[in-house]
Amino acid sequence: MKPVAATLMALRIPFVEAFAHSVRSRTYSDSIVVRLVLEDGTVGYGEAVARPYVTGETVESCLDFMGAQIWPVVQQTDYLAPPAATAAGLGWLQAIAQTLPIDPAEGTPGGVVAWNAARAGWELALVDALLKAEGRSLSQILPPQRSQVTYSGVITASSVESAVKMAKRFKQFAIPHLKIKVTGEGDRDRVAAIRAAVGDAPSLRIDGNGAYTVAGAIATCQDLAEFAITSAEQMIPRGDRADLAAVQAAAPIPQMADESLITLADAEALIAANACQWFNLRISKCGGLANTVAIAHLAQAAGIRCQLGCQVGETAILSAAGRHLAAHLPVEFVEGSYGKLLLSQDISRHPLHFGHQGHAPLLTRPGLGIEILDNHLETYAHQTISLHL
Amino acid sequence: MDIRSLIAAQYQAHVQDFAQSAKFQHLESGQLSGAEVDQFIANLCQAHLKSPQILAFLYSVAPPAAAPAIQHNMLEELGLDEEGICHPDLLIDLAAAAGFDAAQREALIVGAQEHLRTLCTDPLMFGTIKELGLSVLLEVTCFEWMLSRLASRIGQALEVHRGLSPQSLAWFFHHSEVDIRHAEEGVTSVVDYLAYYEVEADELETILDITFRENIFIKRYFGAIALAQETHMLEATP
Repeated sequence: MKPVAATLMALRIPFVEAFAHSVRSRTYSDSIVVRLVLEDGTVGYGEAVARPYVTGETVESCLDFMGAQIWPVVQQTDYLAPPAATAAGLGWLQAIAQTLPIDPAEGTPGGVVAWNAARAGWELALVDALLKAEGRSLSQILPPQRSQVTYSGVITASSVESAVKMAKRFKQFAIPHLKIKVTGEGDRDRVAAIRAAVGDAPSLRIDGNGAYTVAGAIATCQDLAEFAITSAEQMIPRGDRADLAAVQAAAPIPQMADESLITLADAEALIAANACQWFNLRISKCGGLANTVAIAHLAQAAGIRCQLGCQVGETAILSAAGRHLAAHLPVEFVEGSYGKLLLSQDISRHPLHFGHQGHAPLLTRPGLGIEILDNHLETYAHQTISLHL
Repeated sequence: MDIRSLIAAQYQAHVQDFAQSAKFQHLESGQLSGAEVDQFIANLCQAHLKSPQILAFLYSVAPPAAAPAIQHNMLEELGLDEEGICHPDLLIDLAAAAGFDAAQREALIVGAQEHLRTLCTDPLMFGTIKELGLSVLLEVTCFEWMLSRLASRIGQALEVHRGLSPQSLAWFFHHSEVDIRHAEEGVTSVVDYLAYYEVEADELETILDITFRENIFIKRYFGAIALAQETHMLEATP
């Protein structure tokens, strides 16, 4: 089956409230949506979230790479229909991912770390369309290992007062796991206040988004350990794995790699360096479903525990893909599916956000399992690029 | 601060934010385009066309002390009280006067029903009907509070700047009079609800925060983008 047309839409969907971490504050989603049309008329949707401080991609450069480098290859490829046998599903996903071009400059100094958001956007659109064309669900390719998915809440970097307010909301909703964005300023007061507000029951994780030095990360973990913190995510910037290994060795809180984990090669190197006990997998960051599954398998074999994270501001498309992956993989924490809890309006007809206790059902409809509303895309698209044969 | 004052202060602040918003002020000063005013009318109709159904839900969860007032309010909306004026019909009359044809008016009804459907199919964040009912009661009574203070001004703006007749604006003038009583009864209903279901002050504060996280009036009447511009989530278009 060949793609015959596609549209790239750069969105600006406002948030209900600003979301901040140590690197920046966001007030709207800047996702790029791929609307792909197959030769039989079937339409599939994918989503890319470009983050310069993660993969090196910006919205502009991502759009350019998606249109100028990936589309010419995609439009010439005759994609296979999804296999009937579930066992062959992963191979089918990998075959799709392998058609998406690699830039020789990727990973070199001055270049992007990887065009992973761009490839993820196309991969998801292709998977959605090809599955829909056969009336099949992604859950038949990535069979679920659980009956529902339980999501974590995330508390943005903010004042103690705002953090407590947010923590109380999550407590009201009985969310069992919370992640706190830490910045290096007033961390102890915020984490203590949050723990006091939610009580002992919810698990707490912290995420530094690379704001600390090695010594600062170790000291912060020592300072916060008494609040029963399950993991400390990306406390130091992406860089020498030995630095992360030093933090892991000295800190009383298990370390989780996020920005340090973008490619399969990163995963191999982190494992070899004993740099962390946790991986944070993210579909857009890791280059799509196939690559994320490959990293997860590597982690599993090495005894690394996994969280499936998300991109702040992701829409229902990445949330749906995340739901499938979270149900399929042995991940211990899941983030995402915030939908209208964060976005002023989502783009799917049926809401994707989780409910009480963070629970969300599996998706079983064809493709990614969601119905995208084109009129919502048009409302929030500030840039639209049409691609044809 | 006692509970009644806490709720009234929250409503007052919410209404004030709405009244001071750029869109509301543009509506009053006649700076909205005709298309924007028509969209406002459509949004307002959709926001209130299914009010009787929402009140029916609240009636079903109301404590005995609050049930008669909510029941009366519901019957009044349906035109089944002594006055016999069906409020959704007033909204449809308003749409017709504004030039919405039969298909457009039907679309408003379908849209309102779709909103109700969404409310029923959205995953529930609250763990009990008690919490959900309180959140809905707060929202409904806050709307009544707002209408009791601003409905006349909105109606007048539509009369002056959109050229609508006083007859077609009956919904606004009706609510501005009636809802002064409703607004006070509404706060009393909330107080009764809190007492009956033994809602703690801390829980009330959190549910107030959740319910009024966004300005419900700007969002429902002017849309998500207008609200985002007002709260600086998006830059306002020049």
